[in-house]
Amino acid sequence: MNAQAKRRALIVWLILSAITLAYLPLDSWVDSQGTYRASSVVTTIAILLALVKARFIFREFMQVRNAPTLLGRLTDLWVLMIGAALLGSYFLGLGHVS
Amino acid sequence: MTANTGKPARAIPGQPDMWVLVLFEALVFTAYFAVYLFHRSAHSELFLRSQARLDPRFGTLNTLLMLTSSLFMLRCVQASRAGAIRAAMTSALITGLLGTAFGVSKITEWIRLVHGGSGFTSNEFFEYYFFLTGIHFLHLLIGFVAIGVIACQLRRRERRSQEVVETCATYWHTVDLLWVLIFSLLTW
Repeated sequence: MNAQAKRRALIVWLILSAITLAYLPLDSWVDSQGTYRASSVVTTIAILLALVKARFIFREFMQVRNAPTLLGRLTDLWVLMIGAALLGSYFLGLGHVS
Repeated sequence: MTANTGKPARAIPGQPDMWVLVLFEALVFTAYFAVYLFHRSAHSELFLRSQARLDPRFGTLNTLLMLTSSLFMLRCVQASRAGAIRAAMTSALITGLLGTAFGVSKITEWIRLVHGGSGFTSNEFFEYYFFLTGIHFLHLLIGFVAIGVIACQLRRRERRSQEVVETCATYWHTVDLLWVLIFSLLTW
């Protein structure tokens, strides 16, 4: 097995794990009055971090990096689409607050 | 099949049909996530109050387990490609064990929530929570079948199909990918 490929996979895993742990400080939903408040910044950061992780998984773990360009473009397009759909739905929902 | 020239060939990992399935599944889950996020922002007080009942340590642990299982699945594929069958089999076994640990952790979290009074019918947030994590759990179970197929292929040694190994690996990574998104959306 290629030692370089093994090391690269380990580095990717470390980055993904670090991003996962970076979510922990985002847990700040309650204001000083004890009321639960939505934070668009936190939600947006959580979604963007998820998209970064998804792209890493596609390219490195699923080996799209070494696949034909078309597959790389398709998966990148998917990441962009899901980003647009998630952020769009979130901000659309803010306009329908009950 | 490409001759070994020292450079990795630009081939689709596994069968193209699996990639069609992966992208289709991803679109279906995107639709679920979009509906969830719309309702979450429209009823943020209820959703955030319910979300606070989740223990983020479970989600974080589960994500680390899934990511680590994906790392070992990648090692399995790389080892199989290099003809290192024993190493590939060991990595497949570790992947399965990590997947099992994920499953046990998920069930423990469900039991803890239900005992704490937060069941499927408790409110809209928990309907989404149990639905999304339940559907994902189903994918995990199918993932175990994929690992079984990989193990069978590896036992065939020289007659193994690397394409089938990579196809099953792609499915397992999809289970990881979906979990990463579910974790981000449901826990935070």
